[in-house]
Amino acid sequence: MNRFIKTILFFLSMACFFSHPALAKTKILTDVKVIHASTGSQYVDPGLKKIIPELKSVFKYTSYRLLKDQRLDQHFHQEGHVNLPGKRTLIIMPSDMAGKRIRYQINIEKNKRSVFQTQVLLKNNSSITIGGPQFNNGVLLFNISGSVE
Amino acid sequence: MKKTCRRYMTEDISRFVDNELSQDRYYELAKHLHRCPDCSRLVDQYKTLSIKFNEHADHKNLKIDTAALKQNFVHATQSSQKRLSGNIYLKLASIAAILMISLFWFQGGIFRSTGPSAIVTSVDTEFSSVMIIETQKKRHTIIWFSET
Repeated sequence: MNRFIKTILFFLSMACFFSHPALAKTKILTDVKVIHASTGSQYVDPGLKKIIPELKSVFKYTSYRLLKDQRLDQHFHQEGHVNLPGKRTLIIMPSDMAGKRIRYQINIEKNKRSVFQTQVLLKNNSSITIGGPQFNNGVLLFNISGSVE
Repeated sequence: MKKTCRRYMTEDISRFVDNELSQDRYYELAKHLHRCPDCSRLVDQYKTLSIKFNEHADHKNLKIDTAALKQNFVHATQSSQKRLSGNIYLKLASIAAILMISLFWFQGGIFRSTGPSAIVTSVDTEFSSVMIIETQKKRHTIIWFSET
């Protein structure tokens, strides 16, 4: 009887501990995909298969090339830098959790001058796409995904 | 048990035999019995019936094995206690299962939380054209800004 209760209490306490990210040592895995979208010959990079249906439902581009895929292992309040084409830099920092979402501060610089800043609450294991900068007869899209470990 | 005397009902006779009448009524009916053979016969019949019934009841009582009855009672009590202790395990396991499911539910482990992939809380840019788009299928959030 005692053994049974102890086992249940052990599993319950473990579940409580690990289900709350703030209680565990939080590590944020951020993945930044830099995509060049254009109206050139039809092409979809194999590394973009998951996100392409969503992008194609909004944009009319025919070519999606993966220029860069950078993974960042971060902790809260730790900046991550990703060099982008056209003398641009993406600076990304997870600041805290809001429920099941990661609060990210995202900053895009061009020639070391901030041109775009945003704060988003990204769903855990999900992604957001930021796009618009012109590049090589097309545009740049930055697909940012985040997950809590 | 038919009777022709209308002074006393059969119920009165029965209560007389069982000594359930009031004292006045009892003596009154006892006097009446000396004069009324009809009621007197009925009293005899009731008394015989009562005696036979009591004899039968005593006979049945003697046949009851009190030791076996006691043993059965003890056995039944023990079984009930075993069932009760078994139920406690079941109840504890059920409570644990409910707690676990609740935890996963609130943490979104079983059912993914609804809403867009990202909620945009602020945007600051020198460009005037900014669009926030949410795709229909997977509710993927896209922020679009134009550099021109």
